[in-house]
Amino acid sequence: MDLLITLGPHLLNGLALGLLFALVALGFMLIIGVMEVINLAHGSLFALGAYVAVALVTPDGGLRLAALAPYFGLPIPSRFVVALLLAPVLVAGVGMALEVCLRRTYGRDPLYGLLLTFGAALVLEELIRLVWGPTERFLPVPAAITGGITVGGLIYSVYRFFASAFAVAMILLLWLFLQRTRYGALIKAGAHDSEMVRALGVNLPRLRLLVFAFGTALAAVAGIVMAPIWGVRPHVGVDAVVPAFVVIVLGGVGSFWGAVIAGLLVGMVVGITGAFATAWSLVSMYILLIVVVTIRGRGLLGKKSVLER
Amino acid sequence: MTPAAESRGFAGGWLSLPMLAAFALFGTLPLWIERVGLYRYLGVEILIWCIFALGFNLLLGYTGLPSFGHGAYFGIGAYAIGLTQFHLVANLWVGLLAATLAAAAVGGGVALFISHRRGIYFALMTIAFGQMFFFIASKWTSVTGGEDGLLNIQRLPADLGLVAFDLTSNLALSYFVFATFVGVTALLWRLVHSPFGKVLRAIKQNETRMAYLGYRVFVYKWASFTLSCAVAGLAGGLFAMAQNGAYVQVMSLQWSGVVVLMALVGGGLVSFWGPVVGTVIYFVARDLLGAYTESWLLWFGLMFMLVVMFKPEGVAGLGQDAVARLGARRRARAIALQPAAGE
Repeated sequence: MDLLITLGPHLLNGLALGLLFALVALGFMLIIGVMEVINLAHGSLFALGAYVAVALVTPDGGLRLAALAPYFGLPIPSRFVVALLLAPVLVAGVGMALEVCLRRTYGRDPLYGLLLTFGAALVLEELIRLVWGPTERFLPVPAAITGGITVGGLIYSVYRFFASAFAVAMILLLWLFLQRTRYGALIKAGAHDSEMVRALGVNLPRLRLLVFAFGTALAAVAGIVMAPIWGVRPHVGVDAVVPAFVVIVLGGVGSFWGAVIAGLLVGMVVGITGAFATAWSLVSMYILLIVVVTIRGRGLLGKKSVLER
Repeated sequence: MTPAAESRGFAGGWLSLPMLAAFALFGTLPLWIERVGLYRYLGVEILIWCIFALGFNLLLGYTGLPSFGHGAYFGIGAYAIGLTQFHLVANLWVGLLAATLAAAAVGGGVALFISHRRGIYFALMTIAFGQMFFFIASKWTSVTGGEDGLLNIQRLPADLGLVAFDLTSNLALSYFVFATFVGVTALLWRLVHSPFGKVLRAIKQNETRMAYLGYRVFVYKWASFTLSCAVAGLAGGLFAMAQNGAYVQVMSLQWSGVVVLMALVGGGLVSFWGPVVGTVIYFVARDLLGAYTESWLLWFGLMFMLVVMFKPEGVAGLGQDAVARLGARRRARAIALQPAAGE
């Protein structure tokens, strides 16, 4: 019981972290599924989301236009909501530009897509440094979701509850979208056999563009929600994209619930290691990955996939 | 799309024209590098990263396996030479051997886990392992010095029994690194033109076919990975000497990507020498663009994106196209002249 009380906060933090890892990983996986591209720029787009949100919330956060003065007169909660809605749309635009560049790599060795997005990651990270500088920024959070609440004698951060609830809502919405809508069906079909989808008369280039935009927007949303917990640094993208790789491989490429379970598992393992050996918390997830993948080659819920060619 | 375009060369396949040109260029580097506005240490750095990129290309260009975590093995070599020097014995040869063997041992271990994987899965697993070693190196402060790194790694003298060369000056180190470069290149050149190298290229083209032909694909991929890790470790050891320290940054995902970038921009997919060209371009671009703009990596990244989009065969590919076009034109002219000669 004592152990549970000591571990409690770490488990809850791990849960919040895991849900956000899952959210980043799901956007990443949509892109792998339809484009067969590992988007190494996914983390940079995650970081860009956080930075654009900073620009939309703080007056000195990158937008220094005099005409925007009335907008920055709005209270922080309104600006935070604007950022949460608008920043992903703007970042999705960048994602669409990247997809247009990627078109030249379709049908060739998947290595080229990987390399192109690596170049894009370099470019985006340098652009962020150029616009916002190398120092860490902070994203102000509405007062209603800050502070702590006391449960059973322990204090929990309210924001982490908000972040977890937000991530759960996003994951469920994504699931409903993929299961219940025509576009969801097309995305799943496109991941299975894109040539067949094209043969059935679907506008494949447009589907790819939209999926890329959608995946990018998910990365940006996760970046914004994560910003108050992790801080906003140019390098934060790598901290987000690498756990996403781990989650995808651990859960099994192409499996929605595999990614969610793996995300939670990774978050928990990082949280528990954090309780006993803070410095090693980020190493533990790789050890988890190696152990699981050695036993189950395709990950927890992985099926035979197009990517094994 | 395999770097097989070069002829086997001469002297029993041990030498070729581009090799002699590279040796002449890099061997005389200390004599002219300062005259063209660069500095001597840059030459050392270029040669070290050339060794790294050539070893890496055994994996990427010849076996078709993209490793995005190769900085880890470079870093392991760097730490190994420092730790050997501090805790075991202060000898250059032992240190370099330790760097090579440590990286080969760790790489060989990793290869056991990932050699049965392909394509994107392989790339993801190399990233995961690379990041794991990166975090271990940055957190295991008592051994690696954590974020500060291992400081005060000495450039020990190269003791050849009768004579010993002092390597503390950049000039001396430059020649020493060049000698290593010559050795490594000759070995790699021989290796990729051996039956072993042919099997690697065939695996790159079609792994399944090779498996059905009875080749033990796993063993070849394992060997290719381990060998390229050994070369990375040796380069890392030299780098620790050059820098007088081992730092964790080289093990990061970004630096692991940079070596991919070097190998590819130069044309590692179609030419043995591509990685060398790419490394030179990278460092010269860093110095020239870096003099004008803080964010030179932005421009380099854009250039890299353009290369991948329009000419994935890189600079070497452009060169081979030019040679092919020239040859075609000469043949066309010869044909055009024939009737005239016949009249």
